Amino acid sequence: MKQIRIAGAQGFYGDSPLGAMAIAMQGAADYLMHDALAELTLSILQKDKIKDPTLGYARDIEVHARTLYPIAFSKGIKIVTNSGGLNPESAAEKVKAILEKQGIKGVKIATITGDDVLDRLTEFKENNVELNNLDDNSSYYDSKFPPTHANVYIGAQKVKEALDNGANLILAGRVADPCLALGIMAHENGWKIDDPTTQEDLDRMAFAITIGHILECGGQASGGNAYSEWPMNYSVSDLGYPIAHVNEDCTAILTKADNTGGKVSRNTIREQLVYEIHDPTNYITPDVVVDLSNIKLEDVSENKVSISGIKGKPRPEKLKLCIGQHEGFVTEQFFFFSYPYAYDKVQMFIKAVKETWQKLPVQIIESRFNIIGVNGLHEDAVDIPNADELNQRSELGLRIAIKHKDDRTGKTAIAGIVCLGLNGPPGVISVPGWGNMNRAMLSLFPCLIPRELINPEVRYINV
Amino acid sequence: MKIKLIDIASARSGDKNNVCNIGVMAKSIEDYATLKQYLTADLVKAHFKGLIKGKVERFEWDSLESLNFVCHEALDGGASRSMRMDSLGKNFSSHLLRLELTISE
Repeated sequence: MKQIRIAGAQGFYGDSPLGAMAIAMQGAADYLMHDALAELTLSILQKDKIKDPTLGYARDIEVHARTLYPIAFSKGIKIVTNSGGLNPESAAEKVKAILEKQGIKGVKIATITGDDVLDRLTEFKENNVELNNLDDNSSYYDSKFPPTHANVYIGAQKVKEALDNGANLILAGRVADPCLALGIMAHENGWKIDDPTTQEDLDRMAFAITIGHILECGGQASGGNAYSEWPMNYSVSDLGYPIAHVNEDCTAILTKADNTGGKVSRNTIREQLVYEIHDPTNYITPDVVVDLSNIKLEDVSENKVSISGIKGKPRPEKLKLCIGQHEGFVTEQFFFFSYPYAYDKVQMFIKAVKETWQKLPVQIIESRFNIIGVNGLHEDAVDIPNADELNQRSELGLRIAIKHKDDRTGKTAIAGIVCLGLNGPPGVISVPGWGNMNRAMLSLFPCLIPRELINPEVRYINV
Repeated sequence: MKIKLIDIASARSGDKNNVCNIGVMAKSIEDYATLKQYLTADLVKAHFKGLIKGKVERFEWDSLESLNFVCHEALDGGASRSMRMDSLGKNFSSHLLRLELTISE
């Protein structure tokens, strides 16, 4: 029976390439599947693109093109990624230049575009295309914030088409993460996925999506971030990224490369399966709705887990569109206070900061004070020990965050409290230095859009 | 009798805009029966005090001996606009594991 091996080579923009390189060097996979796009990532890429129109892709592909791709291509491994972000074609040109510099030939790069509709929002408005918020049903056209990016989650069809046409590196835009795996499996097994007609068609698509979901967060499926394996009696500095050995009959073994750290167990896979899933009977993707409620996971042997029992339902009528909106800025600064009287000093400092801001010409929309080591992570959900106990601590931290409309306020607000280093309670340490940079505050507007308005395209560049 | 959630389960949480889901995975079939009986959506919402502003839905996932809690309006508007340090709600799982269940003998 035909089997292919797909590795989860990247879990986010900024992930280490070392896990993928270990797999490539061993020739332990036929495909490397890279997911670089979290909900937030496109906003980050848009900022790059505004500064330089040739950017807007996940820039770690430049590192991958120098380090990982040469090894992968020499072993005949194909790479499928959504690192193209907001600018897949520019990403392809960049990768091409880096590969050519190394004397690498015979690479067919495919780009997938058409998911980016930022420039079409006016057209949608003119044509009365309803864009209603999935959470509160408000209309996008009533929104008061400017858009930063607008991308539609698209499915696997163009990934399959590009592989069918011989591409060995696919740089896509906002292809939904798990659909990368469906595209690979549809190509390898000759599945028709754009118009599934039978339950069998739907079930195998659902199976492929599930494999994609397990792989899309990289090391999080193979022992990373795992409470179920705590105290994690394995090495994580050389964590082996997950690999799925996928059979044509929709069964698979989940594993990792030999001689790597981490662990693949029913527990590690179970933890990744529940991650970012809502109703397990309705996991919605552009190509198919997946019913995971009867999924069967079994430990087969060390670092080998079998998976089966996944059902599919017809795809949703519309596609999901996520629009980023620029709401303002956030500025953050950390301060540390030592024993004695650490807690009293924190309280005095907070009071002085608030009084100072009242006197400054700054408009702070919202401020937040978290005591590190007490309620930094969980805020109001935890009880705060009494002042006597906190004053006995050897140190306490204070995190101050403010929300503001313009990008100058943060600097003014922090500069205004610099004097408290000398004028305030004794022994205040500020990290990092005085005056942190502000970051853009973005809200996401999720809505649905008719499928027929979105027509993804594939283009090819030969190296 | 009190049972600490951390003794019978593990958990992982993640974000989708302003929604945080917390998967709670029982350590055994028996533990799953306990979770199903005692770990209600209301208990989860109350444990987070004001952090979860919306409703909490509970999904039973028998084949994985897991419960999945979908917490609405839980992430201060969503990771990219949140003022929280844990903007993605990655530690909602950790906080939930502190919960103690009161079990009838």
